[in-house]
Amino acid sequence: MRDLMRLPGARLVLHAAIAIGAWLALTWVNGAVDPLMNYYIALVAMYATAMFGMVILVGLSGQVSLGNGALMAVGGYVFALTTLNWQTIPFTVIPMNGIWAMLFAAVGGVLFGLLIGVLGARLSGPYLAGLTLGIAVGIPAIANRFPELLGGETGLQLTVPYPDGGYAPVVEEVDQQFVEELPTGQDELPTGQDPLASDGSGDLLTSDNFPSGDASVAPDDLLTSDNFPSGDASVAPDDLLTSDNFPSGDASVAPDDLLTSDNFPSATPDASALPLDPGSTDVSGVDVSGVDVGFVLERWQASLAVAVACIVGFLALNLVRGRQGRAWRAVRDDPVAAAVSGISPARSKVSAFVVSSLFAALAGAVFAQILAYVGPGAFGLGLSLSLLVGIVLGGRSSLVGAVIGAVLLVWLPEFVLSLSNDRGWEEQVTNNAPNLIYGLLVVLVVLVAPGGIVGTLQALVGKVVRRARKAG
Amino acid sequence: MTQLIDYLLGGLGSGMIIALMALALVLTWRATRVVNFAQVGQAMFTTFVALTIQTLTGSWLVALVAAIIAGALLGVIVQYLVLRPVRRMDTSGAIIATFGVLIALQAAAGMIWGGDSQAYPQPFGNTALTVFGREWPVSAYDLVVVGFGVVLVVGLTLLFTRTDLGLAMRATAFNPEVARLSGVRVSRTLTIGWALAGIVGAVAGVLVAPTSAISPNSFDILLVFAFTAAVIGGLDSLVGAVSVGIFTGLVLSVVSGYSDSSNAPVVALFLLALNLALKPEGIFGHSKARAV
Repeated sequence: MRDLMRLPGARLVLHAAIAIGAWLALTWVNGAVDPLMNYYIALVAMYATAMFGMVILVGLSGQVSLGNGALMAVGGYVFALTTLNWQTIPFTVIPMNGIWAMLFAAVGGVLFGLLIGVLGARLSGPYLAGLTLGIAVGIPAIANRFPELLGGETGLQLTVPYPDGGYAPVVEEVDQQFVEELPTGQDELPTGQDPLASDGSGDLLTSDNFPSGDASVAPDDLLTSDNFPSGDASVAPDDLLTSDNFPSGDASVAPDDLLTSDNFPSATPDASALPLDPGSTDVSGVDVSGVDVGFVLERWQASLAVAVACIVGFLALNLVRGRQGRAWRAVRDDPVAAAVSGISPARSKVSAFVVSSLFAALAGAVFAQILAYVGPGAFGLGLSLSLLVGIVLGGRSSLVGAVIGAVLLVWLPEFVLSLSNDRGWEEQVTNNAPNLIYGLLVVLVVLVAPGGIVGTLQALVGKVVRRARKAG
Repeated sequence: MTQLIDYLLGGLGSGMIIALMALALVLTWRATRVVNFAQVGQAMFTTFVALTIQTLTGSWLVALVAAIIAGALLGVIVQYLVLRPVRRMDTSGAIIATFGVLIALQAAAGMIWGGDSQAYPQPFGNTALTVFGREWPVSAYDLVVVGFGVVLVVGLTLLFTRTDLGLAMRATAFNPEVARLSGVRVSRTLTIGWALAGIVGAVAGVLVAPTSAISPNSFDILLVFAFTAAVIGGLDSLVGAVSVGIFTGLVLSVVSGYSDSSNAPVVALFLLALNLALKPEGIFGHSKARAV
């Protein structure tokens, strides 16, 4: 096995096998569970995508960044703006679709990452953390600066680009659960953050320019999992997004399967395409038994998030376990020694920023599609802190740790909610309990087990193996 | 021109609050070499304590004293439990731990007092003062804020320059090992430094609360402003933190006046980025040789 791995390209093949295996497994799971579970899978995959970048930036490159939530905002807003405003790609006749929008989001993320990275590469420790903290607070505030373009406090609604053959049911309720799991979200709704954010400036603020009017608007328009339309719950497991008819390939979710200019969100949805319409026999939402099952938005969102997470995970695996990963670690551990060995510390730090912001932007574009909304509240400081919490708990420099952290971020609030339903806790206790646990756990992990869950397990396994060797 | 003067005057109160919070950051940094990102969380928490006392007793002053005591206690607790053990570890770990404290404090405050914004009673008039037949953009309360700030800064300056304790604190900040060899009780000195930082933060929190509202994360933006001021001031310099803090308040007031208050965070970010790009050690800081 070891000899086999020495073959050129063997590692690439192995990593591809891991990514494709994960994708196949998750796609199968996705087809077998109910929409609520699809929604959780989508969230986990979205978090994991962003946290792969955090592992590279914080874990490998040693740069503590709080800006990745803001970089997700860049991805989300670019995605929203391009899908909302462009029918075709500018200067061409190529019709816009979800894939193109995600590519634009990626480009936006790379550019921003380059900018922050060049600025941040000169900085270390608390200076970098402070600068990225400012970015996490400042970038979402830009949305308020351009209310016409970016929707201001209210944010932008968008219809998720969906594949041919079905129309997403329009669900317009706030997702209370998601809101609760943002660490600084407290029990406020997403946009609650920014009017408060202005408080710091104290008397700079006058009642005329205080944007309070908008605060209550956006949350109600978000997507929910709580009041999920009951019609979808009965959907048969094997409908249009199972591995058979899932757009072939992973990256190659074929453009025509996504949105084309014909069925672009702005166009009125064809009545026959609505999932609950019995007459929709011409759409692909008909399973073998001939029963109309329609299109499940959550399943589509989960498939998309999983596909993106697997592609990003494949890239991250190659980077982390390759030459670049060694360079990042070398610069983190001893910049002088790394420089002497011919690695440019500055270039290495900037590249970590660019890679992580590329991943963050893709995650942001996925997040925009999960929420069907982008707004300053959804991408606030809380999101950045969540990402940090996730990788610290999972294991700062481990990609597996990122996945574990992502699961924790989604699972813990649900767990607390179910506990609270059993014990009848007050709402403000339930809403804040996850963050209290996160905060205490982060401190505890840093003090006691800096390697997080994965690092601790590795250390334990290593100890057991060594003891076994000694004994044997 | 008169408009500019008005905007500058209007920024005095908020500038003083930014200065105080920056001062708290610098005090912790000097004591432990850790930037305590949880400082605003502690201030938020003690302000909620003050609000509770205020509601119970009806006295603004008693509430302020309660906040000061709570601030000192919380400062010492956080430092003993978190910052002191963590500072010997990697820098990333220390920074992450302070954010952990921030998250936990915000959640705890949300649990106890709820997540909604609550009004903090105005102890003094908040209407513009009329002097010499002209209305000035300064209220009685602004004057109180500035007064408290001046008293604190002067008090701390005297403490640091005129007392044995201050000398010991400066020696400890400069070099703990040498200070210990010279007979300074370093650990006790550090504890006092943390308590002082907690007190300054707590006062800043109580002072800023009536001009806006208080909620578990209402001070997030103050953290950005204060950090900006502390870093531009040089992180190590008390004078730097205060002067740049006030300056930041004035700049933000002018920016908000001429354009819109939503620009303030972006401008602060710009100032911070500019400073870090050109002079990372800050205006009042001492430049350090770069390894690579």
